[in-house]
Amino acid sequence: MIIVDDVHKRYMTSHGAGRWVLRSLNFTIAPKVNVGLVGRNGAGKSTLLRLIGGIDTPTKGHIERHCRLSWPMGYGGGLQGSLTGRQNAKFVCRIHGHDEDMQDRLDYIADFAGIGHYFDQPVKTYSSGMRSRLQFAMSMAFDFDVYISDEVTAAGDIAFTNKAAAAFKRVADHAGLIMVSHSEETLRQFCQAGIWLHDGSAYWFDDIEDALANYKESIGA
Amino acid sequence: MTRPIRSSVQITLASWKALFLREAVTRLAAGRAAWAWLLVEPLGYLIFIMTLFGFVYHKKVGGVDGAMFVVTGLLGFYFARNTFLRSMEAIHANGALFTYRQVKPIDTVLVRAALEGFLTLLSAILILAGASLFHYDVLPDDPLLVMATVFGLWLCGLGLGLILSAATKLVAELGKVVNILIIPLYFVSGVMIPASTIPQPYRDYLLFNPFLHGLEVLRGAYFSPFHAVPEASLGYVYGFALVAVFLGLSLHLRFSRQLVAE
Repeated sequence: MIIVDDVHKRYMTSHGAGRWVLRSLNFTIAPKVNVGLVGRNGAGKSTLLRLIGGIDTPTKGHIERHCRLSWPMGYGGGLQGSLTGRQNAKFVCRIHGHDEDMQDRLDYIADFAGIGHYFDQPVKTYSSGMRSRLQFAMSMAFDFDVYISDEVTAAGDIAFTNKAAAAFKRVADHAGLIMVSHSEETLRQFCQAGIWLHDGSAYWFDDIEDALANYKESIGA
Repeated sequence: MTRPIRSSVQITLASWKALFLREAVTRLAAGRAAWAWLLVEPLGYLIFIMTLFGFVYHKKVGGVDGAMFVVTGLLGFYFARNTFLRSMEAIHANGALFTYRQVKPIDTVLVRAALEGFLTLLSAILILAGASLFHYDVLPDDPLLVMATVFGLWLCGLGLGLILSAATKLVAELGKVVNILIIPLYFVSGVMIPASTIPQPYRDYLLFNPFLHGLEVLRGAYFSPFHAVPEASLGYVYGFALVAVFLGLSLHLRFSRQLVAE
């Protein structure tokens, strides 16, 4: 259960406080509900994911998280170039408290990422596809109650995309999912409910179709 | 399988452990023989200073063997300097990790300071052990006071690291200023000279520097023939350290949001 209570967000710019990116957001995400976030570029989708994910804090209001929540996946960050894939994976296991079953997790990540001997090479030698494979594998290796995904399914080649979609579907069935995607197909496939971000406000829809309809109307498509 | 939600303390301890191991690996294993630099750097400075001052010191400084005088000064100074220089960069270097909300900027600074203290201790032990092979008298006369002083110097480094890590993140230019100031800091901290050789009134001014206090007390404890200036006080070192740590922690608390920002 995630409660977003009167959340406001604006960033400081070099000219003082910027405009409000998000204004007075109120909604509650019940357990095991899959939510898609829609809105035009710059509407604050990634900002909202960062706030829910606890990386950034709201300027006003607060967010309660009564569950185990993943980090925003597909974010691009979270990997250190000079360390190997395995060392990066170990780090993530440790901060999530998986010291005892670390070997199982590592085997799973190595197997899922499928990057062979590159798993023991520094991440800076990876191609961008290999990076996303590793990142995706790391986020699938832990049992979260809610997964946060920022355009994550777009990663990798066709074989991996299919594998990732299957794993994602499995996750979506037994856990909650909060996702940003510009692909309607992806949103329909994984989400029931939707949030439409428009002009700094958030509108909750129990059916993702309604959110998509409003979004498309607003951009005149 | 549902796992219980961990307490804040458990999460913090887990991320300290993970960060410590990660930092240690980067520091010791990444790059070509990265571990060798732990010894090469202090040894290089030692050789440089000893050749430079070898002619001046004529074997004895303040009743102490010249080489051991420089060794203790340099190693004591390193406990403070390495700690704050490395931890100052911690937030910048670990920016990618704040994707995981378990990792806070303060964690990276604390872990780096701890690792740096540990590594400096390691290189100090190795250098002193090496010196004993050349028949230098490396055993301190008052080991407890030496330990207390070294810890105080490290604590000063931690405090400055906490302040500077937050300050350089907020005002990036400060990092450059610190790097300029680090060279004069060598000279005014008494790494190469005893405080008693500094004429008044300048000695009083320089004694605002906690490192000078620390190194004087350290040498007084290490070598009983060495007479530290009467103003030198371990209390000043710890006082400075506590104020700096407090100020650093409050900066991290006050600007916690800005420190995470890209």
